[in-house]
Amino acid sequence: METGSLTLGRRIEVSVAAPGASGRRIGLLFAGTGLALFAVMGLLGLAMRLSQGDVYTLPPTWFYRIMTLHGAGMLVAALLGQMGAMWYAVRSAVPLSAGRALVGYLAIVSGAVLVLVATLVGGFATGWTFLYPLPFFARGAWSTWTTWAFLLGLVAVGAGFMVYCVDLLARLTHRYGTLARTLGLTLLSGRDDDPPPPQVIGATVVAIAGLVSSAAGVTILAAEIGRLIDTNVGIDALWAKNVTYFFGHTYANLIIYLAVGAVYVLVPLFAGRPWKTTKPIVIGWTATLVFVLTAYFHHLYMDFVQPEGLAAIGTISSSAAAIPVLVVTIYTGMMLVWGSRYRWTLASTLLYLGFAGWAIGGAGAVLDSLIPVNFRLHNTLWVPAHFHTYLLLGVMFWVMALLAYFLEQRAGRTTPLGLRVAAMTLMVAGGFGLVAVWYISGALGTPRRYAVQPFGTAGWSLVGSVSALVFAVGFFLYLVALLSLLRVGRPRSQASLRRADQAEPAPEPLPVERPVRKAYELFFLALVMTVAAAAVLPPVVDAAENGVRWHHLDHAALFLAGAAAAFAVVNVGDVWSRLRHGYANLGLALAILAPVVSLLAMTPRFYDSLEGNASLHLGYHLLFFVGMGALTALGASRLGRTPAWMMVFLSTGMGVLYAAGILGG
Amino acid sequence: VTLELGEAQLAILVAFFALSAFFAGVFLVVALRSRRELAFEEVRASGYRLRKRWLVVLGAVLASALLASAFFLPYASGGADVTEARVVGGQFYWSLSPSEFRQGERVRFDVTGADVNHGFGIYDPSGHMIGSVQAMPGYHNKLTLTLEQAGRYTIACLEYCGLEHHRMIHEFLVRP
Repeated sequence: METGSLTLGRRIEVSVAAPGASGRRIGLLFAGTGLALFAVMGLLGLAMRLSQGDVYTLPPTWFYRIMTLHGAGMLVAALLGQMGAMWYAVRSAVPLSAGRALVGYLAIVSGAVLVLVATLVGGFATGWTFLYPLPFFARGAWSTWTTWAFLLGLVAVGAGFMVYCVDLLARLTHRYGTLARTLGLTLLSGRDDDPPPPQVIGATVVAIAGLVSSAAGVTILAAEIGRLIDTNVGIDALWAKNVTYFFGHTYANLIIYLAVGAVYVLVPLFAGRPWKTTKPIVIGWTATLVFVLTAYFHHLYMDFVQPEGLAAIGTISSSAAAIPVLVVTIYTGMMLVWGSRYRWTLASTLLYLGFAGWAIGGAGAVLDSLIPVNFRLHNTLWVPAHFHTYLLLGVMFWVMALLAYFLEQRAGRTTPLGLRVAAMTLMVAGGFGLVAVWYISGALGTPRRYAVQPFGTAGWSLVGSVSALVFAVGFFLYLVALLSLLRVGRPRSQASLRRADQAEPAPEPLPVERPVRKAYELFFLALVMTVAAAAVLPPVVDAAENGVRWHHLDHAALFLAGAAAAFAVVNVGDVWSRLRHGYANLGLALAILAPVVSLLAMTPRFYDSLEGNASLHLGYHLLFFVGMGALTALGASRLGRTPAWMMVFLSTGMGVLYAAGILGG
Repeated sequence: VTLELGEAQLAILVAFFALSAFFAGVFLVVALRSRRELAFEEVRASGYRLRKRWLVVLGAVLASALLASAFFLPYASGGADVTEARVVGGQFYWSLSPSEFRQGERVRFDVTGADVNHGFGIYDPSGHMIGSVQAMPGYHNKLTLTLEQAGRYTIACLEYCGLEHHRMIHEFLVRP
């Protein structure tokens, strides 16, 4: 039994600064909630698997609603856990706003509650991907309010993650000056002797991709909410599938990349070696940003009407995404561990095991991303096999590691050797047993998401269930191990922890930056306003009145004109000095809400009554959309230069995306 | 039909388990070597050298896999002797016209969805999954396949479509 005190950071001097109290508290809150949600959702997963294994019968009405809840709930569990982990990791380098993190947390948790109500009470059962038009073909299984609750729940999750990402982007770009430097790109050109630590680069990539995918998610959710309000709203099914998977796939992917932040901070503590920013890390993250945003096309390989070029982009991105993971992140992690006299505790072992889950699940993912392979495995059990490998045996191991690390640090020791070995052996054996059965069943062609297995594969399901039970016992022992750490009380090491907490710098309010600084930016704004102003020219208006897509595109142009004008106006010296201070939170709320309101306003029911009155109709177009654009830009200008431009581009992009997919109205 | 492992799927499964075993082996060796104490400078110097080779090997493996996959794309459609078959997936049925084919016949399935998204997954009489395409409302996806075996083929829905998704199973006959 090991009882000696932990010697965390034993050979680290300056490279890894352990985060202080607020980092731990936020980390603990997010990871704790994530783990609790994971435990409940895991039991629901076990209930489904046992039913598939014919141990008992879960009626399909309950199977599919539980499946929907399990998917959405697990996604939220892993997202919350890893948001806390990344926050904790970044907090060691850059002060972040705990208030913003809590707002994001509350939004996501309330979203999860809405999803819970929609599924368990309302019977909503579309699968967590709510693939259009299934929410509107309930055949009596769920009602309209249920769909409202589910869609609003996901909007809340998206908005919460947006708040988190905006805060990360604002704080990080402010700390390091420019976006290029925050991404580490100045290191590549040899102009930076003091690049950001790797977790900052990773957090910046996650924040950018998180905002882009959230914007897409909010767009499809707004479109479906519009359809709930008015059945005249028609949505192109192929467009809906593209946008839904861009949102869903990217979120699932980002959870893994969020997790890497904590890995960068924690592995060095146990290996006694620093994880420094190098050129391969910078190149790897930049490439990852591109791959994360373009890989989702692999979800549409079997939609043959989708242009083949997009499938080609998807397959190349999905395969190439393995290179930064295997050659940079995991490889560097292994280099840190190799010959380091790595300190094997509960936390550090789970961290290490998480690498294996990531690599092996990644192999399953890359294989399935090859088009001919996907032709045989699409929507078979291979799909849950690979994502459970890296989410359950990678990401969740890292959430468990973070919590174990907090408690080990608090207790000044790790858990008894026998207990942690038993816990991890059972989780590894059960977890890999569970996914191995799915890989085999997937190769057999067993469809995923079947309440009843029609092809005589219940035997495999039973083996999977037993494996899941073994995992559950291991997880229980892990919880016992955590409790054993909690019981130790507050030992002597707390004094030094408290001293470190007192020395922790409080985050200062961000100074508001002018959104436009350079001549070319002003020129760009002028150009945008000129082009967007064409939206009011009679031939364009005529064309717009004859086609729904053009009509909505016209709205997006008006929105952009308003946003560009607001940027130009707030930049004028006098206005600027009046607006310069404060209102950051109001600005953030406006930048998120105004684009959503302008999308919802395109629902025919809201503007039909204006059609008969020419001046009201003109006002609706000119004042409303220009005004919403201006409000978005005004709000965004409170957030710092990079987030401001990003929010304006994204909100306009949402309008263009909406125009591309909405047919009726 | 009882599912059987097709040749292609067996190859995929073997490749996956081989890769998994490789990764597991590497993680085991690194974990065992973690007990030693080596100077990080030495580890880093040799690690960086090895990494260049690893990059080349991994890049070559991925590029070869991508290149090879380009020769087996399922998108080819048409040809001279192709029978057109119209497939509609709806909650919770399949309609197929014509509903019988001859062994060795090359069939272009024109697949669409009547209401929501469905997935047209097709299994030969031996229980091998031979391919799939999506049935999407408003779109027609065309999948061309040669029906090599005589007997009963099975269609199963491969896109979750509602509470009776698992009951969207349909059979059709291929005569010798």
